[in-house]
Amino acid sequence: MIKIRDLEKIYRTEEVETVALNKISIDVKEGEFVAIMGPSGCGKSTLLNILGLLDDPDTGSFLFNNIEVANFNERKRAELRKHNIGFVFQSFNLIDELTVFENVELPLIYTGVKSVDRKKRVEEVLDKMQIMHRRNHYPQQLSGGQQQRVAVARAVVNNPKLILADEPTGNLDSSNGNEVMTLLTDLNEQGTTIIMVTHSEHDARYSHRIIRMLDGQTVLENIMV
Amino acid sequence: MFKHYLKISFRNLAQQKVLTGINILGLSIGIACFSLFLLYAVNEFSYDRFHTKADRIYRIIEWWEGEGREPGGSGSISTPVAPAMKKDFPDVEYAVRTTDRGCLARVNDHVFHTSITFADADFFNIFSFPLIRGDVHTALKDPGHLVVTREKALTLFGTTDVVGKTIQIKIDTAYKPFTISAVAENIPANSSKSFQLLGNFEHLANTEMVKQSSNNWHMTIGIDAFVLLKQESRLATDHKRLALFRKKYAEEEIQDRKELKKGKGKKDQQQAVQSGIRLQPLRDIHMNPQVEGGADPKNIWILITIAAAVLLIACINFTTLAIGRSAGRAKEIGVRKVMGSERKQLIVQFLSESFLLSVLSAVTGLILACVLLPLFNQLAGRQLYFSFSRFPELMWLLGGLTLLVGLLAGSYPALVLSSFNPVEVLKRKIRVGGSNLFTRSLVTLQFVLSIGLIISTIVILQQIAFMRSKNIGFNKENVVMINTQRVDAKRIYPLYKQAIQSNTGIMDITAGEMGLGSGEGQMGRGYRNYKEEISGVIEYPGDYNFLNALGMQLVAGRYFDPAIASDTMSAVIVNEELVHTVLGTTTANALGKTINTAKGNNPPKTIIGISRNFNFEDLTHQVRPQLFSRPANLEPARIYVRLQAGDPAAKLALLSNAWKKLVPDAPFEYNFVDEKFDLFYKSEERWSTIAGWAGGISIFLACLGLFGLAALAAVNRTKEIGIRKVMGATVTQVAGLLSKDFIKLITIALVIASPPAWYFMNNWLQSYAWRINITWWVFGLAGLFSLLVAVTTISIQAIKAAMANPVNSLRTE
Repeated sequence: MIKIRDLEKIYRTEEVETVALNKISIDVKEGEFVAIMGPSGCGKSTLLNILGLLDDPDTGSFLFNNIEVANFNERKRAELRKHNIGFVFQSFNLIDELTVFENVELPLIYTGVKSVDRKKRVEEVLDKMQIMHRRNHYPQQLSGGQQQRVAVARAVVNNPKLILADEPTGNLDSSNGNEVMTLLTDLNEQGTTIIMVTHSEHDARYSHRIIRMLDGQTVLENIMV
Repeated sequence: MFKHYLKISFRNLAQQKVLTGINILGLSIGIACFSLFLLYAVNEFSYDRFHTKADRIYRIIEWWEGEGREPGGSGSISTPVAPAMKKDFPDVEYAVRTTDRGCLARVNDHVFHTSITFADADFFNIFSFPLIRGDVHTALKDPGHLVVTREKALTLFGTTDVVGKTIQIKIDTAYKPFTISAVAENIPANSSKSFQLLGNFEHLANTEMVKQSSNNWHMTIGIDAFVLLKQESRLATDHKRLALFRKKYAEEEIQDRKELKKGKGKKDQQQAVQSGIRLQPLRDIHMNPQVEGGADPKNIWILITIAAAVLLIACINFTTLAIGRSAGRAKEIGVRKVMGSERKQLIVQFLSESFLLSVLSAVTGLILACVLLPLFNQLAGRQLYFSFSRFPELMWLLGGLTLLVGLLAGSYPALVLSSFNPVEVLKRKIRVGGSNLFTRSLVTLQFVLSIGLIISTIVILQQIAFMRSKNIGFNKENVVMINTQRVDAKRIYPLYKQAIQSNTGIMDITAGEMGLGSGEGQMGRGYRNYKEEISGVIEYPGDYNFLNALGMQLVAGRYFDPAIASDTMSAVIVNEELVHTVLGTTTANALGKTINTAKGNNPPKTIIGISRNFNFEDLTHQVRPQLFSRPANLEPARIYVRLQAGDPAAKLALLSNAWKKLVPDAPFEYNFVDEKFDLFYKSEERWSTIAGWAGGISIFLACLGLFGLAALAAVNRTKEIGIRKVMGATVTQVAGLLSKDFIKLITIALVIASPPAWYFMNNWLQSYAWRINITWWVFGLAGLFSLLVAVTTISIQAIKAAMANPVNSLRTE
């Protein structure tokens, strides 16, 4: 599903040049659950942003479903992203002005799903995430765990092939964290590919494979049994 | 999708109550101002279009051009022109003359002074003034018929059911009965032809003045004439046919001019003024400054520009505040982009918000405009009202304005916010506060406009004060001017003088054939100057003591003397200007010299005295040559009474009682001369009020924006303020920190605003022959005032932020 080769990303200011990704190469198969780990500043989030088509690499190749996307412009990236990728963030990133229902509905609006179908799909997914009873609440009215469940619901409502999770349990207590990890595992078992950045060895154990990074490169891969 | 945008827009507006309030209040005030000025402009440009045949109605005008003068015309036309046009041109379907006369009228025992319009019987065949009672075909059929408007009928009789009732009107010296034949709907405010009482022109035919003028092509007695041309007629643009027509009837005048030219050189011939008859379209009358009485459309565009400046200031508030709070919206933008939103969708979303705000503001603004309309009408001297049926263009103009405001206010924030990189905003790397070069420039622009308007207001007020206080060459204070035009003044004047002169408080009494001050008219005649050319001279026939009673000073010679018989025949007193420009000599040599009228058909006048120049016109004009005389057959149109200074009430009662005893059937109509002179500056006062209001509103709006920006600056700098306080900064130091940026902007605005404000106001002052010089402190005062208001506004937020507990500030961060 994902094949990146010699990907390089360098951040430059007037005086300093920071190599975020240093000719990194990774493959992720469809249906895999991959965890990316490493110390702060090793390039995990940069890699995730490029994989999520939120950012573009300086050099290298990025094949997404055998399509070269490294040189896509913003419009093309947005088009590909909204149909194929769901995101879960550490800080949830729900829109405070929207209710739970409306937050989850948002990706469907941008993919042009009709209002009736949207309602049906949002209700289904809210039900599945066991957050239906909070559908008319605003994010500030929910606990951290509930907010992350909403974020996961929003990530999956479009049935994406790939979910990118950036430290999804970073702001949660262990009980809520476990709940979120179970949700992600369930989704993976249903066929969704998941790539997760995490600092937590505990969370990483839910994955099939752990990629460890240092200074913008992969240094080790652990296959989980 | 649109529903989604609308919902989000409402929620965002509801969440940011203070900023939304500032935006809606500001935009509403801006839109209210603009709507009022727009209504005024639409009304001005819609004059006379309600007549169904408006495109075929023309006013006959006298047109002059040549001799280096600007081409121009007058609607006052000689009495025989209109009937002759109807007779000579088959293109003319109807021709009517109209004239307004001030008359005394009597209903039952109530005598009142009123204006009556007299018009030829075809009046209603040309103009579309609907009748609510009576028939347009017979309304003016009989010379004794009279048409009244609904309003006048209600005032006089308390009902509109007045057809057949009688009104007595004094024509020349006797009352004559007029029968009401019809009642017209009230005349629309945007009609350049209006009446309250309309009589048949035939009725004037036997008056002395009309008899004299009926076959005279060179005499005008205040008659306007209109023609209705047939469809397809090109007469209005056929100047050749009109010239031939004029030549046919005014041959004598043309001959006179030819002879005058013969005595001059070729150069003079080329420069001589050419006059002729033209047809001016009815729709052109109100807004053509080339023809006397026409308004200058330039003034309307100036008003619209001022209103647009106020609106722009309000739009800038929206833009700067939207940018200012962009930090708060960054996360939303990032999430939306991650969820698949394209940039154009975000642009549409932000524009929807600004359109929503603009619609809400337009509704509030229109309500505000309706509330302010009576005040505005007072200011504009009009009776305007919002009517989409009367002004259909208002609908799309206001709709377009709302869209434009939405676009103007929302486009920059939409473009900036939608361009945020989602990765950076979600990592909180982008921190767009209220202060960047663009918003700083906009705030500066707001203050440039506001300070410019304040400077203009101060200069206009200074010029008005100067004109009012300037010594204009005579003592206009405490002088009552009594109108004697509608009484037998020749008989009344000496009796009235006798009746009041011995009373205490009456300092002097005199009379003249001309009034003084605004709207009093002038009488002029051509005199041969020392170059044997013709110079216009303004004449003031008055009583012996006219000059000394009014405090006009002699610089040489003597006043008129009743003991010298020749003073009533050929003696004149002239002003210094006449001595210099007509006689071409000095005051020392002018006494005893004679001057002759241009036609030479009057005996020469001998100069017995020279008066100091006095400004009988407003101060836009230089003093022109003047001549005072004491005719043997003086027919006073005004009696002047100088009162002792102090409360005039008792003295006015005395004058009124003496008047009623002598002329019980005529009202006592008077004015104070100083007030009549003040009326000259009504237009300036109106402009100063408009500029003052606009300046005040714009400063208010700019400060409203500053208030919001200062609040945002305080929020965006919460952490900095907290750290500074922990490090030992005082409240004053923190308040100063937040204020200094804005103070810098206002200082820059003052520097930018001053040169163009000086340029425009100096240009404006050039139209005054007597004017002030713009001094430096005007700019200082405007700047200081703006600074004071702005600092007060910012301080509220700055002190609030500075007094907050730093622990809380840092925890917030």
